[in-house]
Amino acid sequence: MATIIIDGREIRCRDGINVLQAALEAGFDVPHYCYHPGLSVVASCRLCLMEMKMPDPRTNEPQWSPRLVPSCQTPVRDGLEVRFDSEKVRANQRSVMEYYLVNHPLDCPVCDKAGECYLQDYSYRFGQAASRVVDPKHKNPKKDIGPRTLLYQDRCVLCSRCVRFTQEVSGTSELCLVDRGHRAEIDVFPGRPLDNPLQGNVVDICPVGSLLDKSFLFKQRVWYLRTAASICRGCSTGCAIRVDHHEDRVYRLRPRWNPGVNDWWICDRGRFGWDFIRAPDRIVSPQICRGGEAGRVDWSSLPTMIRLRIEQVVRRHGPTSVAAILSPEMACEEAWLLGTFLRGLAPGAPLARGPVFVEGQEERFPVGCAPGQERFIIRPEPHPNRRGVEAVIEGLGGESADLEEILGRAAGGAIRALWVVGGYPRPDWPDQALLAAAEKLELLVVQDMLPGALTRRAHILLPFCAWLEREGTFMNHAGLLQPFEQAVQPPEEALPDGQYLWALAGHAGLYRAARVREMMAAGLPGFDRPHVPPEEPEHAH
Amino acid sequence: MAWKAIDRITPADDDGDAPVLSEAVREKIRSFFPRYPEKRAALLPALHIVQDAVGYVSHRAMRDIAELLDIPPAQVLDTVTFYSHFWTRPRGRKVVVACRSLSCHLTGAEAVIEAVKRHLGIGEHETTPDGAFSFVTEECLGACEQGPCLLINERLHGRVRPEDVPRLLNDPDNDRLDVPRSDLYDGIRGPTGEMEGRA
Ligand code: SF4
Ligand code: FES
Repeated sequence: MATIIIDGREIRCRDGINVLQAALEAGFDVPHYCYHPGLSVVASCRLCLMEMKMPDPRTNEPQWSPRLVPSCQTPVRDGLEVRFDSEKVRANQRSVMEYYLVNHPLDCPVCDKAGECYLQDYSYRFGQAASRVVDPKHKNPKKDIGPRTLLYQDRCVLCSRCVRFTQEVSGTSELCLVDRGHRAEIDVFPGRPLDNPLQGNVVDICPVGSLLDKSFLFKQRVWYLRTAASICRGCSTGCAIRVDHHEDRVYRLRPRWNPGVNDWWICDRGRFGWDFIRAPDRIVSPQICRGGEAGRVDWSSLPTMIRLRIEQVVRRHGPTSVAAILSPEMACEEAWLLGTFLRGLAPGAPLARGPVFVEGQEERFPVGCAPGQERFIIRPEPHPNRRGVEAVIEGLGGESADLEEILGRAAGGAIRALWVVGGYPRPDWPDQALLAAAEKLELLVVQDMLPGALTRRAHILLPFCAWLEREGTFMNHAGLLQPFEQAVQPPEEALPDGQYLWALAGHAGLYRAARVREMMAAGLPGFDRPHVPPEEPEHAH
Repeated sequence: MAWKAIDRITPADDDGDAPVLSEAVREKIRSFFPRYPEKRAALLPALHIVQDAVGYVSHRAMRDIAELLDIPPAQVLDTVTFYSHFWTRPRGRKVVVACRSLSCHLTGAEAVIEAVKRHLGIGEHETTPDGAFSFVTEECLGACEQGPCLLINERLHGRVRPEDVPRLLNDPDNDRLDVPRSDLYDGIRGPTGEMEGRA
């Protein structure tokens, strides 16, 4: 711990950081473009300059040095005294901001970044309203630099964050800085576009409207967006994300700072892989199949109906004739509610974890890094909550079985009622073994998102909502339990799974995941204290 | 769309499938590797060598260099474009560079520049139809005391008078350097001290 003085205030700060980071953490709003806590320091934007006391060469007395120094490149050390609140510092900020706007097109009305742009914010706070430039602006081009990304060079401040990201985090080095001086531009090698599994992050870290995501281009003004804190479901890493939405429509997913898990980044699989929630044929209402005809039923009549049907099977075939297959796409709370509900009716009901798929291989970044040097890992398990569901099954005690066993018993007639949770947004779900086992059942309840061979066989079909429409917790590959908020309402008359399972279990009112976690904690210690990453201060972008 | 974005996804037209660097050029580049802790450090010598041999550094040549040095092509592009010394497009066999900065201007560069344009029949940043000459101006050639200066390829001509220009441009040896730049840059000296690998 070092103690430094910023603008006359004593600040205790972590060792090994720079003054800019210390100032930001202490709440000072210091403008900066090139500095990003996740990237190397280049001190090129000259916005973060400060005054610093240095020993006078003659008297050794600390004195304000006449020269401004970059705070992002000055390590903290005990007793260091600096100031940002000075005319000299402000004059520098004004001049630098004026310089950044010399050739900028000032096209905020048609710029996606407007509203979350640090060129706007800093101009307003540290710059000036009028420009003194009388010469015609030098117009830089727009470039198509990759399948997902556009570069508006005319808006770029050449902070080189994007270049450093591809060098230091993704390790793919597609981006570079061509030419120099006032002609410098960001570019790719023609024919080697920006195209790596982490590339979406460059759009997030670009402080201005220069790098833009094609899928979000001109889609929504950011000031209309609301944000929910969620967890990515793309793989078992469990990256924290922000879900930007407006009027129950999701517009984009972005990373949420989560030190040690995903830091500032997410991969493209997570960022863009949620199209399925907009599938036109999603299952949106509970349905009951009578005499080969599927018909909608009312949510309110459902609990009694399901209860009666299960009780009937238990009466006829005993308490071990009911089983459930819990999907690794479920939240822990949902798995627990369903498990306890079924065990309430059929105490011996075996519970199994549903199939776990494999997608590709583990991808480590920066590409080609030595083991232990990874800055980001995309895992081949394309589900968010295998460990969570397993933990819940174990925590509930009683009989757990593996999937094959349950399917075998169903095929053999020992299991007569099966509750299958799907929700896998993949074409290879469900497999033949499951379909074959489903043939023999007296009662098949299916919770799923998209119609298919299994949902057609269901006697009772319930909508499985996308995770952005639900709340709960996922447990990642390392056993870290992380809560996610509901961002949007499910389509049409669908209810979030947690809500109807809550009602099914006989509870009244609204489902609240935190409340369920408290109930779970008795059998599953620690479930009431999930990991919530620290809030990243707004200015510490 | 009302605006156009430059396509950077498609390879450049000078970026063919076949490598363009000869084995001799490659070998010369490789000979610089032992001098540095990392291969990538040989980038500048490599660029000089390629420009000497081919006349300019095409996108395909950049990729060849990247492969040899085990670095991403974007990093070669980054370096090539940083230095105005390197050409990325074919240029005239001889590039005439005139200084337009202060010392040369005061000592008569304007008239020299006019004389060059008149003699070659081209303007700035143009190449003669036969591909013999390209003409550009630069901010400073670093030889202020000899102004006005003309640089023809690698060879500097100082104290040029407008009336010298025709003779100078007609001289077939006007660009001949005693030692090619890529040797000077980090030349390999043989046991007797003479430069090896001379063109
Ligand atoms: S494109 Fe954005 S991130 Fe990249 S240098 Fe320009 S301003 Fe910085
Ligand atoms: S110079 Fe310090 S943040 Fe850019």
